[in-house]
Amino acid sequence: MDVAINGPKILFTLPFAGGINITESVVHGWLVVAVVTGVCYWLTRDLSVTNPSRKQIIAEKLVTLVQGLVDANMGPQWKHMVPYIGTLFAFSFLSSVMSVAGLRSPTADFSVTLAMALVTFVLIEFYYYKSKGLLGFFTRLTEPVIVMTPMNIIGEFATPLSMSLRHFGNIASGAVITALVYGALAALSQFILGWIPNTFIANIPIAQVGLPAVLSVYFDLFSSAIQAYIFVMLTMANIAGTAD
Amino acid sequence: MKYLEFFTIDVWTMIFTWINMAILFTVVKMLLFKPVMKILDQRDAEIKKIYDDANQANEQAENLKREYDAKMARAREEAGEIIKQATLSAQRREAEIISDAQEKANIMTKRAEAEIAQERKKAYQEIKSEISDISVAIAGKMVQREITAKDHEALISQFIENVGEV
Amino acid sequence: MEKAIVLAASAVGIGLAMIAGLGPGIGEGYAVGQACSAIGRQPEAHGKIQSTMILGCAIAETTGIYSLVVSLILLFANPLVKLL
Repeated sequence: MDVAINGPKILFTLPFAGGINITESVVHGWLVVAVVTGVCYWLTRDLSVTNPSRKQIIAEKLVTLVQGLVDANMGPQWKHMVPYIGTLFAFSFLSSVMSVAGLRSPTADFSVTLAMALVTFVLIEFYYYKSKGLLGFFTRLTEPVIVMTPMNIIGEFATPLSMSLRHFGNIASGAVITALVYGALAALSQFILGWIPNTFIANIPIAQVGLPAVLSVYFDLFSSAIQAYIFVMLTMANIAGTAD
Repeated sequence: MKYLEFFTIDVWTMIFTWINMAILFTVVKMLLFKPVMKILDQRDAEIKKIYDDANQANEQAENLKREYDAKMARAREEAGEIIKQATLSAQRREAEIISDAQEKANIMTKRAEAEIAQERKKAYQEIKSEISDISVAIAGKMVQREITAKDHEALISQFIENVGEV
Repeated sequence: MEKAIVLAASAVGIGLAMIAGLGPGIGEGYAVGQACSAIGRQPEAHGKIQSTMILGCAIAETTGIYSLVVSLILLFANPLVKLL
């Protein structure tokens, strides 16, 4: 009985630029994009002002939910950030929750979460530049005293690093624990049914029924939702913080 | 089957993730947020319009009501005036009619009294002339023949009969 | 032999790294307790307190997650073994 904890599987390699590895993370990201596109297209097919259908109400609820979140945490002057926040939440949540279907979460790959956090980082720096100007952009690193400059620079880069590590750590640890539990339960099944000479019956993973579902509710649904929420909240707090 | 390391920073994965996020951003913005926000804005505008219309209608109704109330008050006043006038004139007319009637009655009574007096005079005259006629006739008869006691009696009863006929 | 020493040291390191789980546990417990009493005092501010608490917990959890990441790296992608 061996449990292999691996990184994302390389599904195929594109034969140029020295071989571009297309991993599970990327393909599952495409899946998320496809699902979101389909759902968005389906939800907003025939909208009406006076007589909304049930799916239109869902679409409106989603939009007003994100709007309310941005309004409450960033203020009304950040209205243009609403689609980005929605995108980030959808990508993060759907990527993480994918593991319910047994697919490897893209967010359990540090490259993906780092890429997500770097987008936020670029936005933070951009809005610092926009609100403070070129001079203020650099002088803010020397505050409160010039000696603090290295610390401030480290702190600046710590933001995306901690965000991406947190997201990656939570989702990946969930995946690892789920894999370990599956392995342990497989061993337990082997122990229970291993004495039966018929190899087919002996290999039925009887102990894998039940417990993984409970774990899945926590690690896949709850943890995914919380991590997506936290990622989005930190993004909003950091971007809104550039205006002060 | 090849795997990447559990903890790696793979540049191509990052680049593809950025592309995915850009596509997802475009999709979410164009297919979800833009149309739904448009609808929500339209609905807000419509609701605002309805409220404005309702307010306007309310104001109009209020104005109408005020006008109507004023008109009603005036009408009531006028009606009161009219009734007072009518009562007054009716009273005046009543008095007039009564006095008229009384006057007429007086005249009629007087006339009737005069007529009665005249009639009585006339009747008296007639009776007088009749009596004299009869006296003359009786005298004539007495002159014509001798009057016996029996005749006398007959004559008198005849006379009385004649008188009774009158 | 060297590999065995490195692996054993890594295993000890993993165990030591996970001691960092203590801090976030205490911190988050304290934060949630405070949030509960705050909700008890002001039930109408429930939503705001909850979101602030979750955000605070997430930030407090960071060190724990760092230690978890370190131990996961040592477990499944041990860079020290490759140095041999």
